[in-house]
Amino acid sequence: MKILLVEDNERVSQFVIKGLQEAGHTTDHAGNGRDGMFLAASEPYDVIIMDRMLPGDIDGLAIIEVLRKAGKRTPILILSALSEVDDRIRGLRSGGDDYLTKPFAFGELLARLDALHRRAHGVNHEIPLTVGNLHMDPMTRKVSRGDRQITLQPREFKLLEYLMRHADQVVTRTMLLENVWDYHFDPQTNVVDVHISKLRQKIDAEFDRPLLRTVRNAGYMVTAAE
Amino acid sequence: MPSVIRSSAVSLALGYTALGLIALVLFAAPLWYAWQGTIREGRAEILQADAQRLTDVYRREGLDGLKNFIDARIRMQIAGDRILLLTDAARHALAGNLAAWPDVSATPGDYRIQVDRGNEGIQTLLVHVASLGPYHLLVARDNRLFAPLEKRFWYGLAGAIAVLFFAGLLIGLITRRALMSRVDSIRQTVSAIIHGDLKHRLPTHLSDDELNTLSRTINGMLDQIELLVHGVRNVSNSIAHDLRTPLAELRSRLEELALIRPSSDETFAEIDGAVADVDRVIRIFDALLRLAEIDAGMRRSGFVSVDVADLASSAAEFYSPAAELKNIALSFHSDGPAPVAGDPVLLAQALSNLIDNALKYAPEGGMIGVGVHRRPGAVQIAVTDNGPGVDDAEKAKVVERFYRGDASRGTPGAGLGLSLVQAVAKLHGSALEFSDRTPGLCVALTIPSDAPPPTSTIPGAQSAAEPPGLPSTAATIP
Repeated sequence: MKILLVEDNERVSQFVIKGLQEAGHTTDHAGNGRDGMFLAASEPYDVIIMDRMLPGDIDGLAIIEVLRKAGKRTPILILSALSEVDDRIRGLRSGGDDYLTKPFAFGELLARLDALHRRAHGVNHEIPLTVGNLHMDPMTRKVSRGDRQITLQPREFKLLEYLMRHADQVVTRTMLLENVWDYHFDPQTNVVDVHISKLRQKIDAEFDRPLLRTVRNAGYMVTAAE
Repeated sequence: MPSVIRSSAVSLALGYTALGLIALVLFAAPLWYAWQGTIREGRAEILQADAQRLTDVYRREGLDGLKNFIDARIRMQIAGDRILLLTDAARHALAGNLAAWPDVSATPGDYRIQVDRGNEGIQTLLVHVASLGPYHLLVARDNRLFAPLEKRFWYGLAGAIAVLFFAGLLIGLITRRALMSRVDSIRQTVSAIIHGDLKHRLPTHLSDDELNTLSRTINGMLDQIELLVHGVRNVSNSIAHDLRTPLAELRSRLEELALIRPSSDETFAEIDGAVADVDRVIRIFDALLRLAEIDAGMRRSGFVSVDVADLASSAAEFYSPAAELKNIALSFHSDGPAPVAGDPVLLAQALSNLIDNALKYAPEGGMIGVGVHRRPGAVQIAVTDNGPGVDDAEKAKVVERFYRGDASRGTPGAGLGLSLVQAVAKLHGSALEFSDRTPGLCVALTIPSDAPPPTSTIPGAQSAAEPPGLPSTAATIP
């Protein structure tokens, strides 16, 4: 992916650029709003990471609004130290596609960037999903692995659907909470893990190769890869 | 001195003094005029009687007889206040103790004139003029006869005015002094409080005067402020204390890493641990920020119509695998949709915290009930468990920030869960109610709702189809 990072904090910038580089992405960096606006408007990027608070007279939300008015559809992830729910809503309303509060785990950022990138390429809700020998038909709501039918509760279905739509990508607990349960808060206990292990019981228990894997310190991934 | 005049007590007293003076004058003036009128009339009668007597003498004894009578009268009189004058038609003196006819008409009648009497000075005379054939008779009295009485009247009045004025001034000064000493003690107390010592209270007495009432009100305010400051201090202490633990762990972890330099595998494990420590700190901060945000009432702008029953059922569903793991029966009851005006994110979080709490305390194999029921004008959310419960003394404390009951020792959490539920309840115009179950605890919040109560309470065609009592969908989540 080609990514633009608009962030004024040196340390955060270095940390993010290095991490993205290791994950195989190329990153351009703008340290202020003016440069950020110029780069975002002139270069084609897959995803833009935009800090909300920028030095100078142009802040992150203003850049997003200008870009959207100019017809730029590049997915934008807003990075902000403001954690209040209203700020989040304001950020998304201005045209941002996702919102992440500082401090954040790099794994969370990476997972969200992947999800944004994939979403930008369009999601067809009608096409059956396949990971290895696991099949899901969103239309008939049937799930099978190999030749065996799997019965899932509605919420388990939604959970698996989200994981399969992001197959081969790390999906964090927060992403699951937000997208499967629509919970925009941290429920303290490891309830998501319990849901995952229950789902795992149904899709992986009697098969040699597990498809639903735990990625340490990051989240989960559904993948057929070795 | 200007400060004395500016003093409200002194100016008030002076104002009352002025009012007193006006009242005194209003009282004395008519009295004075009535008195003067009476005197004048009385005197006019005396003079007329005198003139009559002289007229009688003239009629009986002729001009010479009258002259002798007048001379004898004047000689006999002691005080010299009686003035008599008999003149001819041309007003030349014939007898009497006045040298010439004064500046007064010769027409019979009563007059009041000023006459220069040489060594006796100018006198005000009350005069009666009568005609005796061709002669003119003038009978007069010196008005000074009543002067001592009048003088006494004026002195009395002046004395009264002086007493009134000085008493007013004195009372003003005394009141000012008393007031100043009380205001001063209030000022001193307040400045002590400004300098940070919240222990001080304003002095109060048993009386119900204005200053006392004010002082009592201010003391009440100070009590409240002290309580709040104390609370804030407690919270910041607790925050500091709560953050110390993960920070201490983090520090020793990092220090150990630098000191021992273990193999890279172990190093990575330690770094993961350090990140987890930092996450704990961040989590506490997030919870506190969220609480502050709710307390500030900022979220009320985001109120929308929310179906609490729907929120509660998905929260119960969300926690059901975790309950299953502990072999706890988690059930959900509601009597249909329960719409309220509220913040869906916060209500979901509050519900989640309540169920999370119940899960922590319900015993292995226990039970948890989540219920949403419509009450007249409100929706009640109740989460019940059969855990150890909370004793009455602890009930007020459990919503305090960072409070952790004895039963929660060793369980994860920062003691902010119920504080958040409490804050959310408050934001929605509700309060947390704790009630005992034997055994266990029921935590309920009742949120005002404009929606009409369930149909069964409204007599009508629709309710005929419903069975008696509240229609209820109770389901145990698998």
